[in-house]
Amino acid sequence: MIKNFSTLVFKVTLVVLTLILVVALFRLQVLKGEYYRHIAESNFVRIRRVTATRGEIYDCKYRPIVVNIPAHDLYLTTSRINNTERLSVFLKIHFGIEPEELKELIFAQRFKAYEEILLADNLSYDTVVALSERIADYPELNFRIGTSRNYLYPNHFTGYVGRINEDEYKLYRSEDYSLNAYIGKTGLERYYEVLLRGRDGKEIMQVDAQGKSLELFGENTSIAPQNGLSLILSIDNDLQEYANSIFPPGLKGCVIVSDAQTGGILAYLSKPDYDPNIFMQKISSDVWAGLNSPSKPLLDRIIHASYPPGSVYKPVTGSKGMELGVINRHTRLASCSGGLKIGNRFFRCWSSAGHGSLSIVDAHRVSCDVFFYDLISKIDLDAMALHAKACGVFDKTGIDLPNERGGFYPNTKYYREERGIKGSLAGYKANLAIGQGEVLTTPMQINAFFSAIARRGTLIQPHLLMHTMGSARITRDEIQPLEKRRLPWSSETMQVIRDGLWAVTNAPGGTARAVNVPGATSYGKTGSAENFMGRTTHAWFVGFIETDKPEIVVTVFIENAGGGGAVAAPVANKIFNYYIGNLEKIRQPATIPPQFADGAAGSEVLPHSSVEPKPEPSAHHEETESSHPEETP
Amino acid sequence: MLILFGCVAIFSASTTHIGEYVSTQNHWWKQLIFAAISLGMMFLLMRLPMPILDLVIIPAYIINILALIVVLFTPEVSGAHRWFNFFGLHYQPSESAKLFTILIVARIISRENMSEIRQIVYGLGLVILPVILILLEPDFGSTLVFMFSLIAMLVAAEVPLLYILLLISPVVSILSSLWWPAIIIWLVLLVGLLLWNRLSWITTAIAGILNGFLALIMPVFWNALKDYQQDRIVSFLNPMADPLGAGYQIIQAKIAIGSGSVAGKGWLQGTQKNMNFLPEHHTDFIFSVIGEEFGFIGALILLTLFGLFFWRLIRAVGEIRVGERRIASAGILAYLMFQTFINISMNIGLVPATGIPLPFISYGGSNLLFNALGVGVVLKYLNERGFMK
Repeated sequence: MIKNFSTLVFKVTLVVLTLILVVALFRLQVLKGEYYRHIAESNFVRIRRVTATRGEIYDCKYRPIVVNIPAHDLYLTTSRINNTERLSVFLKIHFGIEPEELKELIFAQRFKAYEEILLADNLSYDTVVALSERIADYPELNFRIGTSRNYLYPNHFTGYVGRINEDEYKLYRSEDYSLNAYIGKTGLERYYEVLLRGRDGKEIMQVDAQGKSLELFGENTSIAPQNGLSLILSIDNDLQEYANSIFPPGLKGCVIVSDAQTGGILAYLSKPDYDPNIFMQKISSDVWAGLNSPSKPLLDRIIHASYPPGSVYKPVTGSKGMELGVINRHTRLASCSGGLKIGNRFFRCWSSAGHGSLSIVDAHRVSCDVFFYDLISKIDLDAMALHAKACGVFDKTGIDLPNERGGFYPNTKYYREERGIKGSLAGYKANLAIGQGEVLTTPMQINAFFSAIARRGTLIQPHLLMHTMGSARITRDEIQPLEKRRLPWSSETMQVIRDGLWAVTNAPGGTARAVNVPGATSYGKTGSAENFMGRTTHAWFVGFIETDKPEIVVTVFIENAGGGGAVAAPVANKIFNYYIGNLEKIRQPATIPPQFADGAAGSEVLPHSSVEPKPEPSAHHEETESSHPEETP
Repeated sequence: MLILFGCVAIFSASTTHIGEYVSTQNHWWKQLIFAAISLGMMFLLMRLPMPILDLVIIPAYIINILALIVVLFTPEVSGAHRWFNFFGLHYQPSESAKLFTILIVARIISRENMSEIRQIVYGLGLVILPVILILLEPDFGSTLVFMFSLIAMLVAAEVPLLYILLLISPVVSILSSLWWPAIIIWLVLLVGLLLWNRLSWITTAIAGILNGFLALIMPVFWNALKDYQQDRIVSFLNPMADPLGAGYQIIQAKIAIGSGSVAGKGWLQGTQKNMNFLPEHHTDFIFSVIGEEFGFIGALILLTLFGLFFWRLIRAVGEIRVGERRIASAGILAYLMFQTFINISMNIGLVPATGIPLPFISYGGSNLLFNALGVGVVLKYLNERGFMK
């Protein structure tokens, strides 16, 4: 009886399931059969990706830094290939595409044969004209107008875009990247990839034999592309250009100019530099050799390299002494007679003549090493390391660029365990006090630290992005709140250090008397860092100016160029003077350009509307499909 | 018996038949060889003395579990670790796992003096191991097959439906959590049913709370899903939401089947298939090729064949008197039936694309082999009964 029950259950299940299928099939094949037959017969279903226009990059006055320009691309539709041999020969001759490469592409595309693949991009106009006749023989090939990036000046912060590679595609496939996609590879292009990219549109097109759209799927089947957001940076193109023009030719180094109040970067210059546009074409071997030359033009010296800070580090040591109460404004430490004996070694001051016995303000002014040797001998190394960290000199600053490098400051554990040093650390400490030895920082970290002093103690994460434009206006804080914290300094310490920095550029005997900014109060610190690499010291200068409020912080770092006061400070001085000289112009509020005037303007494109090129650089170029390849240019 | 043989023969024949025109490459003769091997293995199995089959079950299950673990460390093929590659032949251990797990579950839960609860717990325990391993591959579709086979076996083992309801209640809870009134109705219904059947308060309370908890936690899970996983589910509910991506196959399959209309376009004439609009048309989406080329009539014939075949299997389940064998047959029946219906439903867009092949028809060696062996096992059980009579 019960056995019958279980078979009954199975029988009922079988009958019910079969009935469901029969009904569903009946509906699909008999009732709606004609409908589907119609679709299928006329079926040249084109599912087209309408590439979203990538956001552009502008400076603080809406002047372009990175724009899109029209470019000619070559596309392949694998389902239309009728002679692979012939095609591969043609592609090899004219575009240098290896037959193997083509085979792989066709294989990778086997389930999406209707979708076009980008074969070659940024083709010259001449190539397109020369080949447009020949290409008519290959219905599977198609020239298209697309967009390419144009980087208006060489720099390290924008980075560049490139075709998505296999690993990236695997990683981002779920985020709707196509095999034809471009993706930010470095710099801002990579850091803000999500914002810049937007969202591709899609279109299902049912085209009949005449190539007319049948609109069988109704109107809601296409998804309009959501164009990427444009980035408005704190960068000031004029200032950037000026800094570039006055940087000592032939030397390596960097210049950072930042807004003393907001932490926004106004100029970001690393030398030697490279033109990101070279990555838009196939790179020739001599260009490649140049990029890999010993001067490392690809290296962003501002955040991707760390150096001994030398004397620009002295305020860190000095402030710890103040905070601990080891010294006050008037305490005079060991008299400098060209050096100081620590243990059985003699540590020299940069000035062999000696400075005599100094207070902290004067020690900054003349950058006396002996003062700091003596000071750190009274401070515990680990306490010093913690203090340096709290000053932000060794942590990554959190700037909105990828792969920032951190600095380094050793502690007792490091010397004991990693270096295996058993004896006294006094000598190592002495070196650390003046920013030598194992201490390493990036120029950006030093700039952030001095910016905090300019703000009387608030350490703000440096950043390039101010806000976005396009379909949405998002401020930097909305994307990722800016980190702000206080330097662990009392107001007395702050005042003393600032007085010291003021003395450097203003008082007699200051190491940076070359800095003279009429109309503003200047502060600064020079550094001449010895390094194991070169014979000549690295030249540092970091300083800021104030008018009625803190204005800008300038960091100049030049590799193996000599003394900070002689080499780096004059560069900063020119920038300060340029800034003050153009203060009115710089402070003038920026006018919003027409393409951003009503916020969302220019962000929406109708799928069928924009075949014709538009005059302004932010024109949207759609991948257009022609049913008759012979008609394409 | 004869009818059954007939069915198997027809299905095996149709395998090669369909395999032939589907493939532009060498799929069809490979499939032909697979079919011959599978039939050979099936007859070999029929000749095998019963005790050997009985002995082999437990080691086979264990070896299979090991194979499932090892396969996770093989190189990825289309985004999953599912296949072993022997000289160009692909072996998918999850296919054999289905059969062996059914057999071992039948062995264990058919023991005498097993309480119903124990039957459920043991069955679930044996099934959960391969299920977890297969989920890791990942292959969600196959794991469903296990669960349905288990339920069928429990039904055949005369476990009261109420317990089975308890077993599947979490799934219902999860489904109903999509819409909150459904949760409330379902939970009230469940608790009411349990109380009405005089189950202990504790059982009722645990079941109620557990299910309520599951229903509440689901939205959290949903948000934890990767975007593309969410896309799959959304595209099932509305294929047009992502016509290029996850919904693409379903749309194309529907166009193919629908355009077949009543009489079909004729053998080799499927336009959708030929133009490659339809992906994977020789494996998971073979039914849409049948639907396109043979139309409603062809699909109906195929459904009828499957229907007769399953009807005969059900009768076999009823005829077999030995508990273990009856339960195993029920498991095999459910395994084949579930795959058949899910695959066809997926082709006509009734369920999401889960990657389950159509038994006997889809291209694929290990799948065909173990489907045939499954039928072989049932046939053998029927034979044994004959001899014993």
